[in-house]
Amino acid sequence: MEANNGQTKAGDWRTYQRVLLPPVKDLHRLDVYEQHGGYTALRTVLTDARWEPKAVTEEVKASGLRGRGGAGFSTGLKWSFMPPVDDRPRYLCCNGDESEPGTFKDRQLMEYNPHLVFEGILIACYAMSINTCYLYVRGEYADWISHMERELEKLYAKGYVGENIMGTGFSTDIVIHKGAGAYICGEESSLMESLEGKRAYPRIKPPFPAQKGLWGYPTTINNVETLACVPLIINNGAAWYAGIGAERHPGPVLYGISGHVNKPGVYEYPTGMLITDLIYEVCGGIRGGKKLKAVVPGGSSTPVLRADQIEGVTMDAESLREAGSMMGTAGMLVMDEDTDMVSFLRRVTHFYHHESCGQCTPCREGTGWLENLVTRIDEGEGHLRDLDLLLDLCTQMEGRTVCALADAAAWPVRHTIQRFREEFEARCKPSVFPTGDGAPAEAVPAS
Amino acid sequence: MPQVTIDGQVYDFEGGSKLLQFCLDHGLELPHFCYHPALSIPANCRQCLVEVGMPVKDRQTGELKRNEDGSPVIQFFPKLQTSCSVDLADGMVVKTHRTSDLVARAQEDNLEFLLINHPLDCPICDQAGHCPLQIQAYKYGPEGSRFEFRKVHKPKRVRLGPRVMLDAERCINCTRCTRFTDEVSKSHQLTIISRGVKNYPMTPPNTEFDEPYSMNVVDICPVGALTAVDARFKARIWEMSSTPSITTANAKGSNCFYWVRDNLVMKVTPRTNMAVNEFWLPDEDRLDYHRFNDDRPEGPQVRTDAGLVPVSWEQAYDRAAALLQGVDPARVLFLGSAYATVEDNYLLAQLAQALGAEAPRYIPHVEPGHGDGWLRTDDRTPNAQGCERLGILPVDEALVQARLADGEIAAVYVLEDDPVAAGLFTAAQLADIPVVLHHYNTTNQTLAAADVALPAATVVETIGTYVNCDGRAQRVRPAKAIRGVNRTLMMEMGKTRADQHGTPFDRWYNEAHQVDCKPGWESLPGVAERLGHAFRFKGPKQIMQQVAERVPAFAGATYEAMGLTGVQLADIGETV
Repeated sequence: MEANNGQTKAGDWRTYQRVLLPPVKDLHRLDVYEQHGGYTALRTVLTDARWEPKAVTEEVKASGLRGRGGAGFSTGLKWSFMPPVDDRPRYLCCNGDESEPGTFKDRQLMEYNPHLVFEGILIACYAMSINTCYLYVRGEYADWISHMERELEKLYAKGYVGENIMGTGFSTDIVIHKGAGAYICGEESSLMESLEGKRAYPRIKPPFPAQKGLWGYPTTINNVETLACVPLIINNGAAWYAGIGAERHPGPVLYGISGHVNKPGVYEYPTGMLITDLIYEVCGGIRGGKKLKAVVPGGSSTPVLRADQIEGVTMDAESLREAGSMMGTAGMLVMDEDTDMVSFLRRVTHFYHHESCGQCTPCREGTGWLENLVTRIDEGEGHLRDLDLLLDLCTQMEGRTVCALADAAAWPVRHTIQRFREEFEARCKPSVFPTGDGAPAEAVPAS
Repeated sequence: MPQVTIDGQVYDFEGGSKLLQFCLDHGLELPHFCYHPALSIPANCRQCLVEVGMPVKDRQTGELKRNEDGSPVIQFFPKLQTSCSVDLADGMVVKTHRTSDLVARAQEDNLEFLLINHPLDCPICDQAGHCPLQIQAYKYGPEGSRFEFRKVHKPKRVRLGPRVMLDAERCINCTRCTRFTDEVSKSHQLTIISRGVKNYPMTPPNTEFDEPYSMNVVDICPVGALTAVDARFKARIWEMSSTPSITTANAKGSNCFYWVRDNLVMKVTPRTNMAVNEFWLPDEDRLDYHRFNDDRPEGPQVRTDAGLVPVSWEQAYDRAAALLQGVDPARVLFLGSAYATVEDNYLLAQLAQALGAEAPRYIPHVEPGHGDGWLRTDDRTPNAQGCERLGILPVDEALVQARLADGEIAAVYVLEDDPVAAGLFTAAQLADIPVVLHHYNTTNQTLAAADVALPAATVVETIGTYVNCDGRAQRVRPAKAIRGVNRTLMMEMGKTRADQHGTPFDRWYNEAHQVDCKPGWESLPGVAERLGHAFRFKGPKQIMQQVAERVPAFAGATYEAMGLTGVQLADIGETV
């Protein structure tokens, strides 16, 4: 089992040295960042003849870096989808829209190590011969946007961004774009629509962004954390990176852990960490010494795992898939034994109902219906048949829309009901056909 | 030739086509709402889902993998595909709802979703009866609904602009309307506002949806969300008959249907003709029908000392002939008309020739700046080009005035125009000369000076040919009946009703709406005969046959050749 490889390698997490968010005071300042080896990776790829653009892509591919935005697609492979350079413009979009509930890790990077993100962007631009990058940051992150803008100005002043970077003849502009305030803007194709000034409706694929992206030109979209890994790979080599954490899903990862733990927060550790280690060791266990009930491993859309399902499960795509969930954004929601799963699901369905963009029928209509049904159950007015209807509606939504929002809305419903069915049944109105001695008194026998 | 297999049937195809369009072209119905052949493909309604599979190739050899029986191994996409957005590919295998339960179920599921927040107010909805949602819900949708909650409420009776109303609750967010304004008319006056299930189309703040093509969104709306201010609540679709014809508000000759109930035109909708107007119709063409219903003359009149008095058609012909006989033919001004058909203008030219008069002239009605290079033209008449091709040239106003001053005009014979309103004459100038007038409606200003007034059938009551600004000859057909029996008209009359159950004539019981008028090809021979020049034509078809044979500029323009979409005539160079 590959999952075990990850587990053993991540086993020495206690001695792990942080690289994405190293413990350096004032690292967000350009001078401090440079004192600590900042921008050497960029200088190397721009000046060293060994680093042809293609070689950078190959190095990233070899490192095994997988996207940190949720889907976990190989970053190097994605870069290699860009068509050969011609006279058309090409774009990089750095996705900092970060709006999946339970996810707050990109914000930390932008706050504490913004130059790592900028350096990653510049190297990625070099690798794909791109000279414009749009950094799309969630609009609600107003403070972080101005913080990033301030740092970007310094980079322009120093000649690290813009025309003729470091005197090498390579030019790239970085534009920070304030997000338009909707969850859907984080979906890569609607992010491009939003950048184009349109309503953020996801596009149908194919064509994929590498063929026809921003303004119809070849475009690559990467997550903030993904790009932050790139300078590390250049500095330390693909083999070093591939040696961190899980074999098939390597590298450092920012775990955003929230919920009923003693020490919630963003923690940088290798992939392939045991979920139990994260909860009981890293986060100091469950609040109030309570028992664990459920874990959502990677943001609200990833399927919830019961406490008895996480034994030996590690935080990497393969192990989590086997356990019946997904890595997502590694934004982990931890719930203790007192948690009301119906109420939890009600809140999740409300979110997706509120955030469905309304383009496709199943998602536009389905998300609202899901919330209606879960709310009714939560208020004690639901029927047992509502549970089957909920599962039916999930089937009617999954895989039938342009983007994955319908799936993201349906999965939590399907899996929370499947994995906590008794809790849901107990909340529903009693059946009119009671069975056994334990039938509730108010139940009406069929006559 | 590349092949695609749909429901087990193999079809050849050429060029790049989308699967849905290919199916529709081959008579395979697939339910759909957002797809429109003239618009971009957002694939947002998710109704046209099908199973799509492709043959599997061996990675090493590039050869097709084959089953034991030699048939290629087909791998189906894990998800259902929207057929509107799928490009045909050689070897593709498609299963529609006819052969796949999965597809049939998915289409049913989707319709269930579409209907949960739809108000289902079909009994009071103008779209009912020709509503894609209603039709497809009955055909492909579920029995009843499992939705037990309050529907989402959205604005109703919103006036988007002067001509279009919105009921946002009926909207299914197909975005056809916003795509029309973005991609076809390019006015960008509509956008979707709000989010999710609260979505609906709206104009930007403080603007109106008033572009000259706004009413097209009413036709392409697959539900009753967008209705025409002009037509809403007036007539149900099954109460009307539709007749394929063309519009005459400008020189484009856009193809249309005239919808008639009780002998009144109720609305005008576009008829697809890719060579002329494609799928569209300007608002001015749609609102140009009131003149067919209102303010119509009641039978022929002649002037006596007591003013214009009603007479019989025979008496009117007699009087017109008598007036013309009394003057020197060289001093008769014949005015053809760019509003009248080729046939009528031709007969007028024949009459002028037979009498030995000068060839007729026509009055141009050009409004510079009105045209937009698309379906609206500067020329506000439908047949200027037809006149030119018959050798009927624009009238020289200065010359006419000079001749009038010299007393060289002793009579004026006007075919379907209003020279006084057009400024060619004043009513006073015409007061002393005999004027024979074929006219449209009673607000005609020349009528006050006319000595014989012969009410002319309008474009919705006659048969004839118009030549549009691009030299395309197109036929018109009678959509409403006139008073009096005319077998030729009756045979051509549009008899389609949406429900197909009515007898052909039952909707014309209301005699009050039948106008006592005659087409030019019936009244002109009546006058000519009394002048000793019998025109021996059985009807407009025969007239056009002769025009096509004798006038080179009309070569090939027979009724058979024109059919429903018209005939492109040879270029004749510079015209109006």
